[in-house]
Amino acid sequence: MADEKVSNHVVQYLNSVELLKQGAEARVYRGKFLGKPTIMKERFSKLYRHPTLDEKLTHRRTVQEVRSILRCRRAGISTPVVYFVDYTSHCIFLEDIVGSVTVRDYINSTQGSETKCLNLLARKMGQILAKMHDEDLIHGDLTTSNMLLRQGSGGEEADLVLIDFGLSYISSLPEDKGVDLYVLEKAFLSTHPNTEVLFDTLLKSYTAASKKAPAVIKKLDEVRLRGRKRSMVG
Amino acid sequence: MQMTQTLELFPGHVVTQLLFKDVKNAAELRKSAMAGEIPGALINPSMVVDPFQVLVATNKALHLQKAGKMKTRTLYSEIIFNLSPTNNISEAFKRFGISDSDDAVQIPVDRVSSLSDTAKIKKLYKVTPQEDASGSLLDAVICRMATKDVL
Ligand SMILES: Nc1ncnc2c1ncn2[C@@H]1O[C@H](COP(=O)(O)OP(=O)(O)OP(=O)(O)O)[C@@H](O)[C@H]1O
Ligand SMILES: [Mg+2]
Repeated sequence: MADEKVSNHVVQYLNSVELLKQGAEARVYRGKFLGKPTIMKERFSKLYRHPTLDEKLTHRRTVQEVRSILRCRRAGISTPVVYFVDYTSHCIFLEDIVGSVTVRDYINSTQGSETKCLNLLARKMGQILAKMHDEDLIHGDLTTSNMLLRQGSGGEEADLVLIDFGLSYISSLPEDKGVDLYVLEKAFLSTHPNTEVLFDTLLKSYTAASKKAPAVIKKLDEVRLRGRKRSMVG
Repeated sequence: MQMTQTLELFPGHVVTQLLFKDVKNAAELRKSAMAGEIPGALINPSMVVDPFQVLVATNKALHLQKAGKMKTRTLYSEIIFNLSPTNNISEAFKRFGISDSDDAVQIPVDRVSSLSDTAKIKKLYKVTPQEDASGSLLDAVICRMATKDVL
């Protein structure tokens, strides 16, 4: 059996709404909750993991996700509002950032043009990640799909919203922050070819925004070097 | 004043909120509520930013009732408990329930915003200045209510 079948009112409701994305660990749905547009993220069990261990892991990811969202919001970093959490079906009900696009889709849609907007975006990303790391929050899965651009209502610049905190954790170590940036760099450059300059803009902005950045960038350089050595050997 | 909302997760359940002003018999109402004679929760409207806040508390109360995991005795007391950012039950009743001297009562209400005491709410929910500058008070409140079990 694929997953331990929890059937409660939450699961029943999920069956009636639109499935947005079927991932490896979670299903993402879109619907209404108490009349508001809502995203529902349901983490499910994995066949190959031991059931008890699996339950623990799934629970932990759900808890990490909501804790980190609150931590970000306290620091003034935009994330979706948490409306409701069901720890039985491991489902989180989140504010739907209506009309948003992922940074990934946005960058792809520009096809390399609109350099000015892209630079602005890269600087914004650098600032927000610096703020997040200054809160000692490590995202754990930084990609351009895990950042949303919310169109500003009328003229104001678009707001960057961070999502997908299931792998996040608390750490003050420059190494952990460096690895967080390394993960993003890898994802960024492979998803968006020929964006080395743009990513460099992001890192410069990160550095300008945080006093702790030099130690982090030093670790990033070390991790890059290790990565390269590994790929030469492997 | 009255507003009604259906609960997507609990088909068949409808939440109606009523707001009463110039209440003279708060002590009596409270007694009746404690005796289980009022089919609703009596809430202090100065602590409510928006009716959505009460809806979130009510949905969670029903959810925990169905799962047999309520922290208080009745559905209505659970609604009051869920409004609080902490897990302290007596504190929740003190802040979010009504007291004998209150002159307004909200029964899970509209135009609530006009009665809400923003300064008191910010303090109780420990809303940070950064958060205050970047998002709405309602969002800050809802997030704390929804996540208090794991903080
Ligand atoms: N709050 C939201 N508002 C609008 N769209 C969202 C929101 N949350 C998620 N999405 C959309 O759904 C996609 C997947 O969401 P998310 O990244 O949280 O899940 P996931 O990648 O499947 O999770 P995991 O990496 O934990 O398996 C996002 O890339 C985004 O397009
Ligand atoms: Mg994702």
